[in-house]
Order: sequence, then C-alpha cells, then structure tokens
Amino acid sequence: MAAITQHGLARVLGQRLIQALVVSLLVATLCFVLVQQLPGDMAFRIAAGRYGYDYVDAAAADAVRQELGLAQPAWQQFAHWLQQLAHGQLGQSLVTGGAVLEEIGHHLGATLQLAAASVALALGLGLPLGLASGLRPGGWADRLTLLASVALRALPPFLLGLMLMLGLSVQLGWVPAAGHGEDGNLLLPALTLGLGLSGLTARIVRDSVLAVVQSDYYRFALTKGLSPWRAFWRHGLRNIGVTVVAYAGVQLVLLIEGVVVVESLFAWPGIGHALVHAVFWRDVPMIQGCTLLLAWLFVLLNTLTDLLCLAIDPRGPAEP
Amino acid sequence: MNSLHLDGVAVYQQQHCLLQALDLTLYPGEALTVLGESGSGKSLLAHAIMGTLPAGLRARGQLRQGSQTWPLADAANRRALWGQQLAILPQEPATALDPTMRVLPQVAEGWRGEAGSAQAEARGQLARLGLQAAQRHYPHQLSGGMAQRVAFAAATLGGAGLLLADEPSKGLDNRACATLAQLLQQHLADGRCLLTITHDIALARTLGGQVLVMRGGEVVEHGPASRVLQQPQHPYTQQLLAAEPPAWPAIAHPAPGDWLLQGRSLAKAYGSQALFRNVDIDIAAGERVALLADSGAGKSTLGNILLGLTRADHGSVRYRDGLPRTAWQKLYQDPVQAFAPHISLHTALHDVLQHCGQPLASLETLLHRLRLSPGLLARKPSQVSGGELQRLALIRTLLLQPALLFADEPTSRLDPLTQQDTVHCLLDELARIGCALLLVTHDHALAGKTTSRQLRL
Repeated sequence: MAAITQHGLARVLGQRLIQALVVSLLVATLCFVLVQQLPGDMAFRIAAGRYGYDYVDAAAADAVRQELGLAQPAWQQFAHWLQQLAHGQLGQSLVTGGAVLEEIGHHLGATLQLAAASVALALGLGLPLGLASGLRPGGWADRLTLLASVALRALPPFLLGLMLMLGLSVQLGWVPAAGHGEDGNLLLPALTLGLGLSGLTARIVRDSVLAVVQSDYYRFALTKGLSPWRAFWRHGLRNIGVTVVAYAGVQLVLLIEGVVVVESLFAWPGIGHALVHAVFWRDVPMIQGCTLLLAWLFVLLNTLTDLLCLAIDPRGPAEP
Repeated sequence: MNSLHLDGVAVYQQQHCLLQALDLTLYPGEALTVLGESGSGKSLLAHAIMGTLPAGLRARGQLRQGSQTWPLADAANRRALWGQQLAILPQEPATALDPTMRVLPQVAEGWRGEAGSAQAEARGQLARLGLQAAQRHYPHQLSGGMAQRVAFAAATLGGAGLLLADEPSKGLDNRACATLAQLLQQHLADGRCLLTITHDIALARTLGGQVLVMRGGEVVEHGPASRVLQQPQHPYTQQLLAAEPPAWPAIAHPAPGDWLLQGRSLAKAYGSQALFRNVDIDIAAGERVALLADSGAGKSTLGNILLGLTRADHGSVRYRDGLPRTAWQKLYQDPVQAFAPHISLHTALHDVLQHCGQPLASLETLLHRLRLSPGLLARKPSQVSGGELQRLALIRTLLLQPALLFADEPTSRLDPLTQQDTVHCLLDELARIGCALLLVTHDHALAGKTTSRQLRL
C-alpha cells in the first residue's frame, strides 16, 4: 500500500509541476498580448503614473519610451521578459522601478490573509448547513441553503460587497467600509468572498452527505447494529470527505476570481488590488507578475486538493 | 434458540394494502424461502420485519419469540435487535461494503460483544470463510464471490438468530451463487433461522425447508420445498417453475447465412493479468452464439472487442463490407445504467428515431409488439420495471436495424418470468430482421435454449 501511495504522490506532484509550467507560459503570453491591445499610449500612461497627469507632456512620454525600450517590436520585449523569467526574475516595475518580486511580496501576505479568512468562513458556514440539509433533505435547512446558495452565486462579488458595505458599515456602522490596518477591516472583504463560497460548499456537502447516507454500505452499517452516530463517524465522514474535498477544491478558483474584485472594492492591499493598479498604469511587468502569482496559487490549490484526496481516499488516484 | 413467530404481518401504503396479512413461523435450522416475481411485495416482508420500510409505508402485526413481542407498527423498537438478533444480508455485496475501509474493520464492527475481542472474532470468522489473505484488502480488490463472503461475515458476526437475505443471488455468477448457498446452509447448520427472499428457484431448491410463493402481495402457496417445487398446486407456482430456462420448450433457431464477422487470434490482458489469448471467433448473419464463462474471465471484454468498443492487444476483427457502424449494437446487463437517469424515455427514444431518420410509426409498432404501453415513455428510466426497461433498451437498438446484437447478460437481473418474456421478445424481433445474436451469460441452461452454438472461454 505504501508503494501505491508513493507512486500516487509522485504522479500528482509531477502532473502539477507540468501544469504549473504550461499555465505560466500561457498566462504570460496572454497577458502580454492583452496589454499590447489596450488603447492609449503606453509610455504616456506610465509617465503619468510616475509624475502625475499634470506634469506629463510628449517629451516626458518620449523619455519613458526610450528608457524602457517601448519602441522595440513587441516580440523583442516579450523575449526579453521571458529570458528574465527563466532566470527566476520578474523584472522591475515600470512605475516605481522597484523589483516586481519584492512589490508582490508585500501584497501576497494580505491576499493570503484574506483568502484564509474567507475559506474558514465558507467552511464554518457551509459544512454545518450542508450537513443539516443532507441529513434532512427537503427540510427547512435544505430549502433555506438552496435558496441562499442560488442567490449568493447569482450575485456578482462586487454587488454583494457593495450591499454588505452599505448594510454593515454605512447603515449600522459596525465596521469600517474599507481600508487596511484597523480592527475589523478584514471582516467585509472576507465576508463577501466567504459568503459566496459558503453557499456552494453547503450544496456540495449536502449532496455528498445525501449520497453517502442513502448508499448501500451506510444502510448495511446501520443494520449491522452500529449506532447512527458510530455509523456516521466510521462510514460517513471519510466518504463524504472524498467528494467534498474534490469538488470544493475545484471551486476555490472562485476565490482567485473574487480576490481581484473584492480587494479593489475594499482597498485591501493584496495582489488583486495591485493588479488593478498595474493595469491602470500599464505596468506590464507588474501585471505579468501578479497574474503569474495568481495562476501559481491556483495550481497550488489544486495540488493541495489532490494531495488531500490522496490522503483521504485509500483507493489512490484514478487510473488515466 | 427458540423459534420465531410472525403474526399477521402486513404492509400498507395509506389505505392500500401492499402485503396481505400473513402468519409465519421460523424454526431454527430450517430455511424459509419466499419466491415470487419482482414487484410481488416480497422484499417488503424483510423490511417490515427489520423496521426499515421506506417512508410512507406502515407495517402491521408483530414479531414474537418466547414471551417477548415486538409490534411491527413501531419501526424503532427493533433497532436494538439489529446485529444481535436480526441481521440482513445485503443485495449486491460489492456496493454494501464501504469502499474506503479495509475488510477486517468492516467485519469487526459487526461484533456486538465485548469490544476488545472484536478484532480476534472477525479474524476467526474471516479465516473460517477462507479470507485470511483478504483482511487488509479494500472492497475494490475483492472478486464478487469474496465480497459476498465478506458481507456474510460482517452481517453474521453479531450472532443474529434470524438472518434475512433479500435477493442475495442477484447479479452473481454460478460460482458465487454456489458459495452463497453454502454460506446460508452453514448458517442454518449453526441452529439459526433464515428467511431468504429471492426469485432464484435453484437457490430455493438448494436451501430446502419451507417455501412461500407470493404474487401481488398475497401468498398463493406455502409448504415444504420438496412438495411445492416438485408438485406445485397453484397455477402461478407452475408458471414460475416453467419459466426456469431448463424447463423451457426447445426454441427453433433460424439457419445461419453468410459470414458477418471474423475475429482472429484475439488476445487481451489487463496489466499483467491475461484474460484470453488466441481466440478465433466467427459469426454468421442471423446466427445465435453464446459466450459462456465465469465472471472476470473476459467474456464481456471479448464481446466489446468484436464490436470495436475495446481494442484488442493482438489479433484483428474483420467485418462484412457495406454495413454501417450502427449495425453492431449492444444490449447492456443493467438497463437502469444504460439510460440517462434524468432524461425521459420519450426523449431517449425519439433522439434515436431522429438520428436514424425513422418514422414515429416504427417506434409505435415495436412498442405494440413488445407489449409496452406508449404511456410508459412519459416516465423516467427509474420509474418503470426492470423487464420493461430492458425491452425498451431492446427497442432502442432495434431502431438502428442491427446486423449483430451483443447482449451482455441481458436478463441476469430479472426474475424468471420476466426473463423468459424478455428473451422471447428478443429472439422474435431478431428473427424478424435477420439479426445475429452474441449472448454473453454464465447461465448454461439459458445459453442452451437461446443459442444454436456455445463457446466457452
């Protein structure tokens, strides 16, 4: 069995490593192409980012163009950037001149903090609600979570965020509307992301609980004489866990999509926030750095999901 | 242990009676077998005794042993007996075992005595059943027969005096069926009670004891197995016995025509395990051929290779020219799994009609000939009986005008009456369009009656 597990582990990690490389290349290329397509003079926007709009003229923009080699053909710029990437460098920010890696490093902590808080919230809400719905299908908890999860999934994060901001901050004044560093700043963005995820989690948990409880082996466990609680503990949890981890892991992509919007909305200084600013100032290396990091984060989450599945399910990964 | 009495057991859905009141006595060491076709309410009897009736159904009557009685109307009062005095041997053992737990703990948790000795007891039980080597296996690593023995070990470790076996032989091959019969006889030999609910007449014959024949929720005949199965009194029992393949009258097979398909030196292995090697097979137009083997011998795989659904490791298959790809069709073992569960049968069949450009009339003719009401089409696959669904699956393939139909155990999940009916429909329709049949089965009698040539793998 140990051999199988090691084999499975090696396969998961190998597959994910290849995926990370392919995703990096694709994301980098797409990013570069899309930024080139943005309207307006890139050099002008970068100069404005450095000196402010009021102090920019054609001469300043030209100076920037010369300095950054923006007049070069696009493919040369891209090749240059790829070369840097191969050496493990993400380049310098065009606006601040600082190393992209360092700049992103500042933001990464904030993003991880927000993501962890949202996932904790989603699980804290979704698991018990899903369990309650799955154990009593058609009951009030089931109907309520169905309604809530549909509503939450239908609401785009920025709208949910605005509603929460209006309700909890403007009307009730419980927490600050936006910002970072004060007590309670984390609550609104985490709630916005967490609520969206929790609805989905609850439905996934509900469906897998129902499937397990209605399964032949679960009924057999009960008629063997196990108490309901013992049957759930021994046969329910692990089997429910397998499905929940597999599906919920995939849904974590919502987290990455949500982080960009929610961070900007609540002025939370994470990677998503940095990304939006970088797009605004046409800070190409910064855009590429941020998207690459988000893509890697996605691959990392998938890898963790796979490893967790491998740990829970003794049957090992499915044969291709 | 004392004998168990069931007084006036009945099952109702609101005012509608699904199982008519009946009195039974179960004697230790003597089998009681309930026979009947699917939908005769015989499974309800087991659930009523156990207290596991689906929501909406009510049981009446009582269970009595010595001076103790348990009214059946209150399902909860028997929960304390589960494992210790009442046990149920699940249908389809492969799905009744937790896929994520090893064999030993699954068996050990059935022990109802002192917790410390559970492991040792389970080991002993598994050893008696010849499963020492499988203790650390997961269910997916077990064969059908092994899973059957593990489920038996788990169900009986608690030492229950009454074992309820609900369709225990469904979907099992000959060898696993023989194992099952042995296990049940062993249980009886230990001086315990056994109530078996089945449509497998061979199993009833092996177990002996008393036999109860049910139809439409009503007992039509009750007596010693030797008498009921030898000299049945009731016409329904006679009909049931005549539906067993060995009792079928001989069937005339059409003469084979030109060659249709040639498989040459076919071989297939999964991993290091070789299924078969150097198999040559010829099928002529309109011919009826059976492939016989135990489960796991690769007979379904061979059929799939002939149809081009699976690639062979070695060898080749030649098809007669001029036939479209859809001329090679397959009828699946479990009709429920062969239909999309949430799509209505109407949609499922009309899609095929549209695909092959046939008029609606051809579907209606087929429905009429196979005695299926057009009203059935409005339902979902789970809402019609197994026999009806298998006939609908047959219609689905017939619409495509097949030249060869590969039927993979098409009746192994059906009761004998439904089986006989389905097979006759199948043969009539194939003869009508001159389609050849490749039947995969483990039932020698069925193969002998339905086909003119049998191949063993």
